[in-house]
Amino acid sequence: MTDLKSNPSTAAATSAPAAPKQRKLNPLNGVAHIALFLWALATAGPLIWVLLASFKNNTEIFLGKPFAMPEHFSFKTYADAWNEAHIGQYFLNSVFVVLISTAGTMLLGAMAAYVLARYKFPGNRAIYYLFVSGLAFPTFMALAPLFGIMQSLNLLNTYTGLILVYIAYSLSFTVFFLVAFFKTLPAEIDEAAMVDGAGHLRRFFQIMMPMAKSGLISITIFNIVGQWNQYLLPVVVMQGAGADSKWVLTQGIANISTSAGYHAEWSTLFAALTLSILPMIVVYAIFQRQIQAGLTAGAVK
Amino acid sequence: MYAVDSPTTPAHRAPVGPGANEPAPRRRKRRGKGDDVVLPWVLSGPALLLLAILLAYPVGRMLVLSFQKFELKELWTGATPKWVGFDNYTAVLSDSAFWSVVQRTVLFTAASVVLTVLLGLGVALLMRRVGRVVRMAMIIAMMFVWALPALVQAQVFKMMTDSDVGVLNYLIDKLPGVEFQNHSWFYTPTQGWIVITSCVVWAGIPFLAITLNAGLTQVPKELMEAATVDGANGWQSFRNITLPILKPLLVIVTTLSVIWNFGLFTQNWVMRDGKPEPEFQTLATYSYVQAFGQNKYGLGSAIAVLTVILLLGAMAVYIRQMFKIGEVD
Repeated sequence: MTDLKSNPSTAAATSAPAAPKQRKLNPLNGVAHIALFLWALATAGPLIWVLLASFKNNTEIFLGKPFAMPEHFSFKTYADAWNEAHIGQYFLNSVFVVLISTAGTMLLGAMAAYVLARYKFPGNRAIYYLFVSGLAFPTFMALAPLFGIMQSLNLLNTYTGLILVYIAYSLSFTVFFLVAFFKTLPAEIDEAAMVDGAGHLRRFFQIMMPMAKSGLISITIFNIVGQWNQYLLPVVVMQGAGADSKWVLTQGIANISTSAGYHAEWSTLFAALTLSILPMIVVYAIFQRQIQAGLTAGAVK
Repeated sequence: MYAVDSPTTPAHRAPVGPGANEPAPRRRKRRGKGDDVVLPWVLSGPALLLLAILLAYPVGRMLVLSFQKFELKELWTGATPKWVGFDNYTAVLSDSAFWSVVQRTVLFTAASVVLTVLLGLGVALLMRRVGRVVRMAMIIAMMFVWALPALVQAQVFKMMTDSDVGVLNYLIDKLPGVEFQNHSWFYTPTQGWIVITSCVVWAGIPFLAITLNAGLTQVPKELMEAATVDGANGWQSFRNITLPILKPLLVIVTTLSVIWNFGLFTQNWVMRDGKPEPEFQTLATYSYVQAFGQNKYGLGSAIAVLTVILLLGAMAVYIRQMFKIGEVD
C-alpha cells in the first residue's frame, strides 16, 4: 500500500511476487513525511491557536504572545460564553435540530435512492434528475422565495420549519451519493430474499440497509457536518419575534462577533468557536471504526 | 455499474411477487406488478414532496420574480407585482458593477478550485506513501477542519489576520527586517482576496484529500507494479494509470468545488463584517445585497438567475458527466 507510487528502483526490488508488501525506506518517503508534517501544521495550526486563545482573557490575548500558554486553564471564558452569550442554549438547539434533520434526511434519502437504483418504473430518470439538479444550484438562489413560502406555511421561526428545510437542502447530495452506492451492491442477496418471500419494505430495511452500512454512515457524517455548519438557512428561517431564543449555534457565534463591542468579546468568541468543534469529536468517537473503514476504503466511488 | 442492477429488474417483473407462497397465480401477478408501480412512488414520495415545496418552488418563484418589479412597495402593500419583461436583466447586464463582480467571482473560483484540487490531490498521493498511523492522524486532523462551519472558518481567518491580535502579523513580524505590526490585510483588495482564498482552500483541501485518498485505494497494485517492471517512471504511471482511474472521482469533486466556490458567500461576508465593500462582492453577496439590502427583489432574482446560467453554461459538460455516474438507466 505504502509503496504504491514508489520509484522504479524500489519497486523493481519489491516486484517479486513473494514480497509485495515489503516496505523500504527511501528518501522520497522522508520527503513525503516532511511535506505532510508541514501541511499538518498548516491545517491544525489555526485550530491550536483558537484553542489556546479560548483559555486566555482579553489582556493575555492582546499581550502579543499568541502561542504562549495561558496563565491558568480556567474555564471562565467557556462559562461566560455558555451562559452570558447564551451559547449553551444555541448549542443545544443545534444538537436538537441536527439530530432530527439528519435522521430524516437519511430515511427519506435512502428510501428514494433505493427505488431509484433498484426499480425500473416510468419517470425514474426524471425523478433522479430532479433530485440531483439541486446540486447545481447555489443555496442563496432560493432564499427570498423560501422566506415567502415558510411564511405562508406558518413555519417561520419554528424548529419544524428549519428541520424540513435542512432535509430538503440535504437530499440532493444524499440521493446522488446513495444511488451510485446502492448500484454497486450485489443484487443476488436481495433477489434471494425476494424468492424467500420477503416483502419490499422488509427487504429494504433488513437487507439493503445493513449491506449499505458503510455508505450510509459516510453520508450520515457528511450530513451531520453539513447541517451543523448551516448559517444562511437558519438566518432566513429563524427570524421574527423571540427568534433569538431559538437560534442555532452559528447564529449565536455570528451574533457575538458582529453585534457586540469590539474589545470585550474576543475571549468569549474564541471559547464559542472551540465549542462548535465539540460535536465533531463526539461524532468521531462514535463512528471511529466506520470512518476508518468506510471513508478511507472506497466508500466514495 | 449499470450491470449490477439489471438482474434485479427482470426479477421484479417476474410473477414471483411478495406473496410467493400463495397458490393463486393470477392474483400474485397482479399484486407484484401493482407494487412495482406504486412502491417507488411511496418510497420516494416524501422526499420528492419536500424537494418540490422547499427547493423547486422557490427556484421557480425566483425565476418568475426576475421578470417582475418587486420592491419595498410591493412587499408592504402586497400589491400584485408588475410584469416588466426583461427590464431587470437589461438593468443588470448594462451595469458595469455587475460585470466586475462576475469577473472577480470567476477569477476567485478558478484560482481557489485549481489550488484546492492540486493540493488536495497532492496530499492524497502523499497519504498513500506514509504509514497507517500517520495516515489516520492526517484524516482526523482534516476531519476537524472539514467539520468547522464555514462561518467559524471565516472567523478564525479573520482573527488570525486581525491587525491588532492577529497571529499572522505576529509571525511575519518575527522575520528579520520585516515590519508587519498592525498591518491591515483588507486595506487592498488583492491582499484581502489572498486571505479569503487561503481560507477557502484551507477549508476545501480536507474533503478533496479524504475523497481522493479513498479513490486511490481503488488503483490496482498489480497494474502499478506491471508498469514499473516495464520501466515506467513515477510520472508516467501516474499519468497513464492513476489519473484515468481517478478521473470520474476527480470530475465529481472538481465540479462540486466549482459549484460551491462560485457561490461564495459566508467567507467574504464574515470577513468584511456583513458589509462587503464593492471590491469584496461576489455574485452571491451582490445578489443578496440587491434583494435584501436595497429591497430590489426582482433585480436580486435576476442576478441569481444569471449566476446559475453562467455556472451551468461553463460547467454543463462536467455536471452532465457527474450526474451520469449515478444515472438511472
